[in-house]
Amino acid sequence: MVDWGIPIGAGIAFGLGAIGTGYAQSKIGSAGAGTIAEKPETFGLMVVLVAIPETMVILGFVVAAMMMIMLV
Amino acid sequence: MLQKMKKVQVLGPKKDFQSVVDVLYHTGTVQIEDISKTIRPGDTLFRKMEIEKGGDIANTLVKIGGIFLALPKIKYDTQKQQQIYEELQKTSHHDLLARANHVIEELESTTKDLALKKSDLEFSLGALGRYEKIIKKIQPLESQLPILEGFEVTVILIQREFRDVLDFIKNALGEITKKQFEIISADIDETTIAAVIVFNKRYSEGVHSLIFSQNVNEVRLPSEFLGKPFNEILQLISIKRTKSIDEMVAIDENLVKLSTEWYQELAVLKKVLDDRNEEVGVFGKFGQTEYTFVIQGWIPKKYLQRTKEALKDAFGNRVIVNELEVSPEKMDEAPTFYDNPAIVKPFEFLMQMVSPPQYQEIDPSPILAIFFPIFFGLMVGDIAYGIIILVFALIVKNRYKMELWLQHLMNILIISSIPTIFFGFIFGEFFGNFGEHMGWIHPMTIAGITWNRIEVLVPLLILAIAIGVFHVFLGLSLGILNALTKKSKKHAIEKAGMIVAITGLLLVILAVGKMIPEILVQPGIVMIIIALPLIIYGGGFFGVFEIMSTVGNILSYARIMAIGMASVVLALVANKLGGSMEVALVGFCIAALLHILNIVLAMFSPFLHSFRLHMVEFNSKFYTGGGKMYKPFRKEKEDETVK
Repeated sequence: MVDWGIPIGAGIAFGLGAIGTGYAQSKIGSAGAGTIAEKPETFGLMVVLVAIPETMVILGFVVAAMMMIMLV
Repeated sequence: MLQKMKKVQVLGPKKDFQSVVDVLYHTGTVQIEDISKTIRPGDTLFRKMEIEKGGDIANTLVKIGGIFLALPKIKYDTQKQQQIYEELQKTSHHDLLARANHVIEELESTTKDLALKKSDLEFSLGALGRYEKIIKKIQPLESQLPILEGFEVTVILIQREFRDVLDFIKNALGEITKKQFEIISADIDETTIAAVIVFNKRYSEGVHSLIFSQNVNEVRLPSEFLGKPFNEILQLISIKRTKSIDEMVAIDENLVKLSTEWYQELAVLKKVLDDRNEEVGVFGKFGQTEYTFVIQGWIPKKYLQRTKEALKDAFGNRVIVNELEVSPEKMDEAPTFYDNPAIVKPFEFLMQMVSPPQYQEIDPSPILAIFFPIFFGLMVGDIAYGIIILVFALIVKNRYKMELWLQHLMNILIISSIPTIFFGFIFGEFFGNFGEHMGWIHPMTIAGITWNRIEVLVPLLILAIAIGVFHVFLGLSLGILNALTKKSKKHAIEKAGMIVAITGLLLVILAVGKMIPEILVQPGIVMIIIALPLIIYGGGFFGVFEIMSTVGNILSYARIMAIGMASVVLALVANKLGGSMEVALVGFCIAALLHILNIVLAMFSPFLHSFRLHMVEFNSKFYTGGGKMYKPFRKEKEDETVK
């Protein structure tokens, strides 16, 4: 019988990270766009701020990949 | 590296003041500070410099600029201009204004009259052209017009889409003139209809007010054309045109004559006045006593000697430059002036995009220049991708030479493409596994590990985290240096405590994970226990939480592996999907499209993440930023003729 537990677990690890990152980036991105419209010189800072929540999805991906490769 | 700055004071007799400002402006090394802010209210000895004659210079500049524009352009005589420039440079504000006013007196009214007359003639030529066009079009209607004494003729123009207005006007004219009118219309071009109206002069007022009220374009012929047959009007137009052209030629000749005589001087006068106007703008920042002036500012140490010599050459010992002693706290106000080698310049640009460093801080740009390309290369790690990125960046760089920001970005990509190719060799990647599949290249075996990225997930993760540990520790060490420069002992202790704590934590984790001898658990715990009071002393109780945040920062370097993996997987998908197609061309196209997509992503995502690792994980350990860039008092763009 196929063991679905690991792929599903990996999917949850990656998926929730992605949702979290997406939600955070949507908030930061919209606020950042407003800020850049007012102060174009903050562009560099905003790019960094938008990239900050990506840690979540990246760590989610790392966990998912490790589960898939090391546990299967 | 950031350049050392010196705070200087330039002092001299007031009579040389304007000339000193001029020399400083042309040397272009001093960032002028507003000394007037330091003057105590009510101080009668040391006062703010009053702005004199600023308005005069601005007004004269506008007038000279006006004359300069009115005269026809002639070739710049560089030699002559240089000669005039050298002469004008030495003159005082007063003499310069006198000379400019003399030029204005000589030229202003003449050029103004000539220019005005020329523009009138141009306008009348334009009008004549319009009349001619309309009259030529409606000339065939002339035979249909009744020739009657006491009747007036007028021409109206109507847009084709509003041709219905004609019927309305016809009806209204019938009522106004009691049917004593005739209207004949014809198309003059694709959009306009002309209508000739002949009516009894008695109703002139009513007819014209009707036309006006309908917002119809009435062709008002000049009085000398009124009542004349169209043929005669055309002849008159032709005569008038020839006369106007002759007059314009004569005016042009006059203007060229004036230009030959004055153009070079005007060009130089405009430039010198422009410079002086800029100089006058900063007068308010200076201080004065009864007989002396004081200018204060920042100057890079390496330009100090040059500036001193320039002032000495011009004024001898009359003007002196004092180097001021500045306390370490006050040095925070010094402007930031980079002096990095050319290879670091593009990374300076990245730093400035976020926030330039403060004067006393360590400039992160050289470190960024070392680690950014390595991180980028580790993430992309493909020979073919590296070559394509290199070629792309070279093309864009050559094509958009005027876009400075693009030049910097492309330079970063060019530098980063080299480690990309290098790591491509190590990972054995050429368009993913295509190179390996073709037998061109194989992953290298280093430290007993064959670095095929898709298979060595854990070693890659460990490598990424190890890089993170090294990078974060480097950041913390720089933080200690920064704190010591600013004489902030607490911060230095906090950073040192953090290094000890993280080292202890790593020892415990590795020993528990049996990656190192288990005996090292105890030393690890001891290190953490020693580090905690140091962190609490330096950063307060909440400083302890910083340990977790630093661990998070280190784990964040896992992205080097993760983004690299994502890139490899997409490349593999491209190859697999392309290879599974039955028609080779279709397979090739699909693979090419996916690889292009991957390269575009590879240029964007690793770039951003490499940058972010520096800005968030690394810089947060030592960098404050918010520095003011060095902006010397000088002309921004040099004139192409007079240098």
